[in-house]
This record gives sequence, structure tokens and C-alpha cells, in this order.
Amino acid sequence: MKKTERIVCSFAVLALLLSLGLVCSAQDDTNVTYDEILHAASHPSEWLTYGGNYSSQRFSELKQIDKQNVNTLKLRWVYQLRRTGIFESSPIVVDGVMYLTEPPTTVTALDVHTGRPIWRWTADLPKNLLTIGLFPTNRGVAVLGDTVYVATIDAHLVALDAKTGAIRWSVEIGDNRKAVAITQAPLAINGKIIVGMGGGEGGLRGYIDAYDAKDGKRLWRLYTIPTKGEPGVETWEGDSYKYGGATTWNTGAYDPESNTLYWGTGNPAPDWNGDLRKGDNLYSCSLLAIDADTGKMKWYFQFSPHETHDWDSAEPPILFDAKIDGKMRKLVVQANRNAFYYVLDRETGQFLAGAAYAKETWAKGLDAKGRPIEMPNIDPTTQGNLLYPSITGSVNWTSSSYSPLTGLVYVDTREQGAYYFKGHPTMEPANPLDIGGGGGQRVIYGDDAYSAIRALESTTGKVRWQFKMVGDSWTGTLATAGGLVFCADSQGNFFALDANDGKPLWNIQLGNSVRANPITYAVDGKQYVEAAAGNAVSVFSLP
Amino acid sequence: MNVIRWLYGAVPGIALGIVLMAPSATAQFGGPPAAHGPRPRTTPESIAAGKALFEGTCANCHGVDGSGANGPNIRDAGTRLGPEALYQTLHTGVLGSGMPSFASLGEEKLWQLVDYVSSFGQPTGAAASGDPQKGRAIYDANGCSSCHMIDGQGGSSGPDLSKVGTIRSAALLRKILLDPGGNLPTGDDLQERAQYPAYEMYRVVMKNGKELLGTRVNEDSFTMQLRDESGNIHSVQKFDVKEIERVPDKSFMPSYKGKLTDEQLNDLVAYLASLGGAK
Amino acid sequence: MRAAKYLVMVMALCWALPSFAQVPYERLLNSDAEPQNWLMYGGNYGSQRFSGLKQITPQNAANLRVAWVYQMRGGGVMESSPLIVDGIMYVTEPPSNVTALDARTGKPLWHYVPQVPRDFVPVGLFPTNRGVAILGDKLYLATIDDHLIALDAKSGVVRWNSLVADKADGYAITQAPLAINGKIVVGVGGGEAGAHGFLSCFDANTGKLLWQTYTVPRSASDPGADTWADGSWSNGGGTTWNTGSYDPELNLIYWGTGNPVPDWNGEGRMGDNLFTCSLIALDADTGKMKWYFQFSPHETHDWDSSEPPILFNASIDGKPRKLVALANRNAFYYVLDRTTGQFLTGVPFAKQTWAKGLDAKGRPIKRPAAEIEPSVQGTLVYPTLTGAINWTSPCYSPITGLFYVNARDGGAYYIKGERKFEKGNSNGVVGGGGGGSRPGPADETTTSIRALNATTGEKKWEYKMVGDSWTGTLVTAGGLVFSADAAGNFFALNADTGEPLWHLLLGSSVRSNPVSYSVDGKQYVVDSAGNSVFAFALP
Repeated sequence: MKKTERIVCSFAVLALLLSLGLVCSAQDDTNVTYDEILHAASHPSEWLTYGGNYSSQRFSELKQIDKQNVNTLKLRWVYQLRRTGIFESSPIVVDGVMYLTEPPTTVTALDVHTGRPIWRWTADLPKNLLTIGLFPTNRGVAVLGDTVYVATIDAHLVALDAKTGAIRWSVEIGDNRKAVAITQAPLAINGKIIVGMGGGEGGLRGYIDAYDAKDGKRLWRLYTIPTKGEPGVETWEGDSYKYGGATTWNTGAYDPESNTLYWGTGNPAPDWNGDLRKGDNLYSCSLLAIDADTGKMKWYFQFSPHETHDWDSAEPPILFDAKIDGKMRKLVVQANRNAFYYVLDRETGQFLAGAAYAKETWAKGLDAKGRPIEMPNIDPTTQGNLLYPSITGSVNWTSSSYSPLTGLVYVDTREQGAYYFKGHPTMEPANPLDIGGGGGQRVIYGDDAYSAIRALESTTGKVRWQFKMVGDSWTGTLATAGGLVFCADSQGNFFALDANDGKPLWNIQLGNSVRANPITYAVDGKQYVEAAAGNAVSVFSLP
Repeated sequence: MNVIRWLYGAVPGIALGIVLMAPSATAQFGGPPAAHGPRPRTTPESIAAGKALFEGTCANCHGVDGSGANGPNIRDAGTRLGPEALYQTLHTGVLGSGMPSFASLGEEKLWQLVDYVSSFGQPTGAAASGDPQKGRAIYDANGCSSCHMIDGQGGSSGPDLSKVGTIRSAALLRKILLDPGGNLPTGDDLQERAQYPAYEMYRVVMKNGKELLGTRVNEDSFTMQLRDESGNIHSVQKFDVKEIERVPDKSFMPSYKGKLTDEQLNDLVAYLASLGGAK
Repeated sequence: MRAAKYLVMVMALCWALPSFAQVPYERLLNSDAEPQNWLMYGGNYGSQRFSGLKQITPQNAANLRVAWVYQMRGGGVMESSPLIVDGIMYVTEPPSNVTALDARTGKPLWHYVPQVPRDFVPVGLFPTNRGVAILGDKLYLATIDDHLIALDAKSGVVRWNSLVADKADGYAITQAPLAINGKIVVGVGGGEAGAHGFLSCFDANTGKLLWQTYTVPRSASDPGADTWADGSWSNGGGTTWNTGSYDPELNLIYWGTGNPVPDWNGEGRMGDNLFTCSLIALDADTGKMKWYFQFSPHETHDWDSSEPPILFNASIDGKPRKLVALANRNAFYYVLDRTTGQFLTGVPFAKQTWAKGLDAKGRPIKRPAAEIEPSVQGTLVYPTLTGAINWTSPCYSPITGLFYVNARDGGAYYIKGERKFEKGNSNGVVGGGGGGSRPGPADETTTSIRALNATTGEKKWEYKMVGDSWTGTLVTAGGLVFSADAAGNFFALNADTGEPLWHLLLGSSVRSNPVSYSVDGKQYVVDSAGNSVFAFALP
């Protein structure tokens, strides 16, 4: 994963390699091998995994679109959803086909040359679908071999034929009647499909699964909360571990060298009242390092022990190697919902650095081991307790990106405070009216609430620059070798910033907020940038 | 965890005061399912009443026989959705489409519509005279599964047959086996039209001389997507095309005329007609 | 469609926009003098949908790009043709909402969402809205549940609200009203529910009803009652569901009328069924009918004649004539003298199999009933039930003298319905008397943009599309025709030759009429696809 190890294929060479024939073979035997995903960086014309590569860097080597010409970007085609809904999909682009998902769970294959649909598959969902604390949407698919994998909102993993969308198999990941619901893109590794689950506000116990990519057989399951007799269960008072949440609702990262998965976990439940779950509540609000073959936990790092503000740690972890104190280190970093940026040794989980990257009023800082030094009286109260950040956190499910060229991590940051209200200490599992045990927030309105793209020094978390936006942005970032960062504001402006200094270089009004991570790819030697705004997918290129 | 809490009020004051959505704990699409009493028994009378309702209310968009007009083909809606979801769809409409709510018809009439729509596309296995068990063996022996998929098993260059018994009559299945090119199925999924012959074969000659033969997956005024015999998709810009020619009455599927005995054919049809079925 | 789900906008942005000018009648009268604006549904009183702008030309059209996008927040079918007045765009969203946008940026300024009963199901039509009218400082909106509402154009607040019709009788409105001197004219839809067609005229300032003219007899002594056997006029029909035109000099309003009821069985309503499937010319002051022309006497295929009539002047046989032209759903193109209603020319502009031709008075010479009447098993007739054209607007260029129409070629099997019609059943039960159609031979239906010699109907060129397009046309002084195909490819054609010059896939079908305007010297073309409004301009 070192930059020097990359087989960097310059764009000019790439263009030569691509067929310039008039007929574009959109799909010559779709067959995404594990090896291709492994070396995703050397296939920058494709976007092979949710995070762009196993390291979840959301960085592209493409550089046809650069600082000089980005202001001539032109809309090339639009695809509109067949039903309106919350559209948060980050597509996969491979062999001339774009695979995207529409809410609640529809997979659509588009001819990437024209934007015209090739096939569409829609999950049969129960009419009494249970989605507690989340919207029925889907954030993307995984592709491995000639198969597309999607996790449905009613918690099934489905394998579809990549050419036709015909269903190969479907297995149940969890019981939707008990509030298990899935919105994340699965992660395809060597012969296995890794997928987590959501629904923590419904009072359940989190887990992460691996399935055989061929037949859907479950290979392992790792619960994120220990049960009686297991170490860590003592961090949960009484029986509270039984419905403690700690779900795994966002897509993680993978280090093939050490065969380790990195996956964030959600909050403990009930969310806003920790009175009857005293203790650190392991392994909620943590990053887990998992052996991909066995599902055994290698190490964990808990960001927010005994969390009471719904600050999940499900944010996508980013892997890269960099020098710290003159020594090359294998790192995993995460910009956490709790407003701190963390740098860990990804081999050991050792805390190396951490700093607040957004306004927070709940901790004085982090101690030498990375544990927060909490301020007094930060728990929610019946009258409402004012804290920063708000429930949705300094960042939520959207992805940050990392550019090995600038060494910066780009975070779509939210600056907002809220009054936190206490819920009740016991919760009724799978009761949609008892979401997270009640309680919640009232946010602070006013000019000190805003979003900003912040560029953090990747080994320290120090803010190098920021680009302030109007409103509450829910877009991930994309960094490119063209020296650009793409993102969007809540007002429907999709834009490009200079990756070095955050200067805005181009924008277009797309009519509705972009609530998905943008991606980039190339077709026939032309680089495209994709953004999903409101009800529509738009792709842009140079004229 | 996720975002719903934010919607209770995490509205940035600076952002022009936008209220996106009303809070809802369980986000169903189109609101919570409509409550209703038990479904009345389906009778020939209820189906007839539903037919009258359908012709007056639904036929303008879905065609008088449900095969589509302005709106989609819904002949398999009964098997695909089942009565409850069908009722809910009629009651609530489909957000983002032209399908409105028909709640004002009242429960009794909605169930009559459900009865009539459900009478489309019932499995036709009973009408086939052959032996489905033997038919299955014939299916396997003739390599049908190299192109067709049933319940996830088989190839994907031809149509998925998992539910073919609910959407094709035994008589039509028989005709297809004897003359596949002359009895292409209609599609209604991708194109912006009511229905069109799916798997229709086209020969495309590009300006650079390259030739393509494939079935049409999709087409608009400027582009075409073709699937070749191996199932690969080809994207065609019509500006680059010298000639597009429809190849009538052809299919990549071979005819089984003369290759199977009448009895074998009956068995195979019986097997295919048994596939799918109401859940 | 709950109001609560809609964006509620603070109007802070209003300040930053150019000061709002009033739109007196004189501006509407001379709308051609201000091509930067689009002041009424049809572009001008002649419904020509011709834009005098010429920045975008056949030479540079290939450089067109999307300037901005606006997405509506609800679902439904967006069929709105916006107005653009001094930098502000007024667009409507289904079912009956109005949104004001900054025409430069597409950013919303205000939304108006009327209280429409949630469970109201109009019969035989989609709950949508096709646009507003402007006069003075007010916008006029007709709602799906039959209200005419005057809104303050600056803020969207309600000035007055009048009832046009009772939805319980099957009435529903989707059209843009027409604003003339101090008056607002609006028609109604709902023929399939047995609504009796009429045209109403309201005082623009007070919302008071000034006149109302029915298009179908309401008693045996009304004119035309003898053309309905056995008092079948009581079934209703002849609705007025699309926006008409106006000749200020003659002070005549031209409006098309819909089909008789029940639609697909004419046995119980023998006779010509006046004044259904007609063009009617009404005195704008009194509502009195000056003349009528019936295109399809005793119609049995749901071929309304609600297509927008286009007014223009041209020489015929060396004599300058005041003309009205209409491309009819029945597949014939008609040219009439608009002073007298005299038939001058009529020729098919799309495939049709129901008439041998038109006689000297323009009356169709029908083929034998057995070949064309709906039957129990289905009779294959061209055009389809939706017709050779439906509600979308054709356009006319005074520069080329051509009439541009998006024409549908296709047939359908027509199925006979109930002879007896259950009047006033607004639940949609047995709407139109049952019956209808099923698709004709698969994949045969295509649409083409056709350029017709406006006075003869002779085809000059055509541009064939794939699929069943539901988009109107716009022609500009720059020499371009804009429209879109069924897949959502929005395109520009050379107005002289039909040659395609530019296209962009908008990802969902375009079911509305394009318009053009300019702000700060920049020409924009705008249309909506799916749930989005797209504005195009040169870089």
C-alpha cells in the first residue's frame, strides 16, 4: 500500500491501452478478480470497491481533469431514479458498466458510455419492513468475479449475475422483524463477502459476517458485544449487553498483506441514557481489527467508552503508510463522529496521535492511550445539556478521502451543537416507537452551525485548510491525482477544490443536495466524475 | 446511530431554514401500511366486479388486459406482490410514478381489484398435460441451463425462467420451443414504453466496418445496447453507425422442432409451466 | 404529497434579485417584443411557442451545456411549462404547487402548496399541473381540485381563491389559465367522469365569475341538444382541459374541447354530440360562442380536440388570411379561418386508418363502422388512444412558416365499453364507460418531430425518434427546434432541415413543453425531465 509500491499507470499510457474503436465493448466478460481489486490503484479507469480501494482512500490516480481545466467540466448524462427516495449510493464502475443502487434496495446496471440502463433488480421487501433509526436506502454494491453483491434493507445478502441481474442466491443476514436492517455496501475480498448490519436503535446485538462468495454459505460471524463468559462482558452492567447495539453499519477497509479487516462499530443502546449500562460497553464505538479468515478479533480500539450521545464510530477507516517520528508506520486513521481525528498503528491498534478537528465541548483532550479525558456533566439531561458536536456528529456515514500526493485527509465536517435530552434507561427491542430508548437532541440554530471541507495533516490531524459551506452537507469527499477534491454542499452545489489550499475552482447547481460519495472513472481515455444529487446521478467530463 | 435523529431538527439556521421531512420513527415508503379488515373470499363475482373496475379505472394506463399502455405491464403483479402488497399499492399509489392512490374507492372495491389483477398470470401448470418430473430431466439433458437460469442455477444469456410459469401460458411455451425467433417475449422493464419485443436480434454495421450481431437490450434515439451471443454488452452510438438492421424471427435459442418428440415436448412444457407460482 | 414534506423556503433571497416589475395586459399583448421573457403558457396569445432569441444557433448548439438543475421534492409527473418574468421563473409541481426560482441559478425563492385533499383521485388524468398565468402583480393557478387561486407574484401569498367547479362532479384541472385584459379564462377536465365541459372567465382582481359557457347542452332546449340521441347530452363530456389561444383584435378566445361520454361506446349517444371534439371561438367579453368547428363528430376513440390551437396570419391563394391551425389527436392537421371558422385545409400528419379523408367542409369521411368502432374483442385502429398528439404543444415559426409537431404513429386495439354510463361517479368506477384499448402490435409506436408547411400541412421534414415521446416543441429565431425523446434525450434540430445538432440524456422522460428566455444577455432553454428542471445555455 506504499506509494512506491503502486503500479502507477499514467493517464497517457492508459489512454493508449484503451480501445479507441467506435464500438465500446461495455462488458467483456465482467470478471473482477480479487487480484484486480487488490491492485485497484493501477486500474484507475475503474472504481472497484465502495471505498475505491481496499484502503478506503477514495483517491484516484486519474489526472486528466486538473486545476487548470476543471472549470470547463460539462454534464454528460443523467440517470434519474424510478422512485423518489433517499439516494445515497456510491457506484462501482467496471468493464464499461456502472452498478448503482436505488432506495430502498434496487440494483441498476448502466451502460457507462451512455447512461442507459442495461438491467435492474429490485428486492421483494416485506410491507411491514422495520427500519428503526435509519432510512430505507442503500449505499452500494460489491462486485467479485461475474457477480454483484447487494445487502438488502431487510437484511439479506443477494448475489446477482453481473450481466443480467438474474438472482443467483440470497441468504438472510439478520431478522428484520428484530430491527436488523442493512444500508451498507458489502466488501468483497478473496472468495468472501464481508458485510455488517444496522439497527442499533432497535435494541439488538451487533455482528459482522463473512459469506462464501460462491454459494452464500456463512463462513464466520463476529459479535461486537461479548456474551456471558467472554472477556469484556464485565463492561456492561447486568443484562445490558443483550441489546447493547454496537452495530457495524458502514463499510470497512481491508489490509491484504496482514489479511486484516478494519471495521467501525456503532453506539451502545439505549443511546442517550447510560444509567443501566455502566461500564465502557465494549466493543461499541470502537474500531475492530479482524482476521479475515477466521473472524477472530486481533485488536480493538475504543474511541468513546460508555458513549451517551449516539456518536457511532462507523466512519470508514482509511489505511495508509507514512512516516511518524522518522519511522515508516502502517497506519489506520479515522475522523470520528465525536469530533476527534485518530491515528493508530494498524498492526497493533496502538494509539499514535489524535486531535479535535471540529468544535467539541465534551472532552479536554485524549490521554496518552487515546482515551478521552471527559469534561464533567456531559451526559444528556431531562432539561437538555448543550454540547458540541450534535447527534449527527462532526462526520456521519459519508466517507473521507486521503491523497498520498498531498498527505492530507479530506473530511466533510459538520460544526454544530445540540441540547442533549435523556431517554429512559431500558429500551424495548424492535419497538419503532422506542427508538434508541427515547431522548435525543435539539440542535443549535444560528451562524455558528455550518459545514466545511477540512484538510487534515494525515499523521497529526492538524487542520491545514478549510472550505466553509452554507448549510449541513452530507457528501463524502473524493481526492484525485489531478490535485482536486470533489464534494458538494447541502444546497445542491457540486464543486471542485484545489487539494493543496482548498480554493474553489468549479461548481454547478444540481437542484438538490448530494447525499452520496462522489467517484471518478475513465471511459475511452476520458475521465468522468460522478455525483448523485437528490433523485439523479450526474456524470461530468471535460468537453 | 444513523441519520434519523438529525431530522428531528438538526436544521442549520444559516441554511435558509429548510425542513426536509416530517419525523418518522419507522420510515416506511409512502407512510405506514393502510389498515383494513380481512380479505373477502375471492369469487367469480368479485373477479368480475374487479374487471369492471379495472376497465374503468386502470385500463387507460395498464391496458384492458393489464399488458400495459401508458403505464407498465402488470400481468405478473399478483404473483410478484401478493394480495396484501397489491392492496397497499392500490391504496397508497406509487410515489414518484404516475400511479395515484385509489384509497377513495373503499376497501371492498380495492379487494375486488386485487382479485381481478391476481387472476392474471396464475401458474398454468395445470393446463399442461405432460409430466413435469420428466420435463425437468429433458431440460437438463438438452443443456437448457447453459443459457437459462432457474432459481439461481444456470447461465444468464437467455431469460431467467424461475417464474416463467406465471407469465407464459403452456401453449405459448410450446410455441416458443418450436419457434423461438417467432415468439419473442415482450419486455417492459427498461425502455420508456409500454412494451416491446425483448431479445429481438439486430445486426449493426459500424462506419469503420465492424459488425455486431446481438439482441437489443435497450435503445433510444441516439444509442443502442446490444448483448452478443456470449452475453457481453456492446454500447453503440448511432452517429458511428452505418446500418442498423433488425433480423426478424431469429433467436440465439435453437428450435426444438423435430429434436424432441411430442411427448417430450409436453413434458418439458409441463415442467416450465410449473415454475414460479404464487407465494 | 403532504405539504409538510415540502421545502419551506425563507424568502431572504428575494432581496438580491432585480426589482419586480408588474406585468400589465399591454406586456402580454406585446409579448413578442420581449423575447427575454416567457409571459404565458403558449409563449404569446397565438400559442406559437416561438422564441425571438437567437444567441443559440445551429452553429453553436453543439456547445450547449447544463447551467443548473432544480429538483422538485415530491413525486409525480412533472408536466409544467414555466413562465419567466424579469429573471424569475414560475414553475408548477404536481399536484398543484407553484415554485418561484431565480432564473439565473435555479435556486428556489418561494413555494406555494395548496391544500389538496390527499385521497382525491381524478378520473382519467394524472394529478399534475402544466403551468400558471401572470397578470399585473398576480399569478393565477388552477388546482387539481378545481380552485382558481391568485397569488402574489413576489411572495406566493394568496390574494383570492375562487371555486371553478365541484370535484364531486368529476371535475379536475391541470391546465395553465389564460390571462387577458383584466380577466382570467380557465377550462376544466374530467370528461371520463362525466364532467360537463365549460369555460369560465373570472375578474382578475376580485376572482368574481364574469361568464361561464358550457360546451355540451344541459337541457333539451340548449343549442346542439338535437345532436345527442335520447337526451344523452346529460352524460357530459366536451371538457376544456388544455390552454387555448386569444386574438386581441377579434377579441375571440379559441379553445379545444374533449371527447363525448361514454368514450368507447357511442351507441347510446347517436348523433354528432356537439360541441365535443371541436374548436370553439368565444367572445372574450361575454363568453358567447361566435363559431365552432367539430373535428370528430360522434367520436368513439377518446380523441379529444384539446390540442393547443395556433394562431398566425398567412397568405392563402394570394390572399392574406387570419388563420388558426390545430394538429388533432385524430391524426389530421387542420387550418381554419379564425374569423369565421371556415375550413380551409386538412391533411393527416400521422398514420391513421379511421377516415378516408376530409370532405370539403372538413368533416371526416369515416371508414365502415365494423373497421373502426371499438369492439368486445378489440379493433385495431390508428392512431392510438393517446392519439397522434396529446396535450403537448406544437410550435410555429413565422420565420420558416413551418408548424412543428411531435407526432405519434401507432395503433391500438380499441375495446368497447358499457353503453350505459354511470354519471358523476367520481371514484373512477367505469370511468369513460369502461372499455379502452390495449397496445397495438408491439414496438410499432414511434414518435417523430414533423415540420409541416403551416398553410398546407405538407410535410417538409421529419426527425424520427425511438419510443413514445411526450414532449412539446419550441422553435427559436436562432433557427432551432427543441424537443426530446422518450428516453429523455433532450435535443436541438435545425429548424430548416431537421438535422440533429446536439443532445443530452436527462435520465427520465421529458413530459413537458420546452421554453426559452434570457437573463443578462444569456439565452437559456429550459425543460423538465422526470422530477427535475434543466436549464441549458452556451458556456
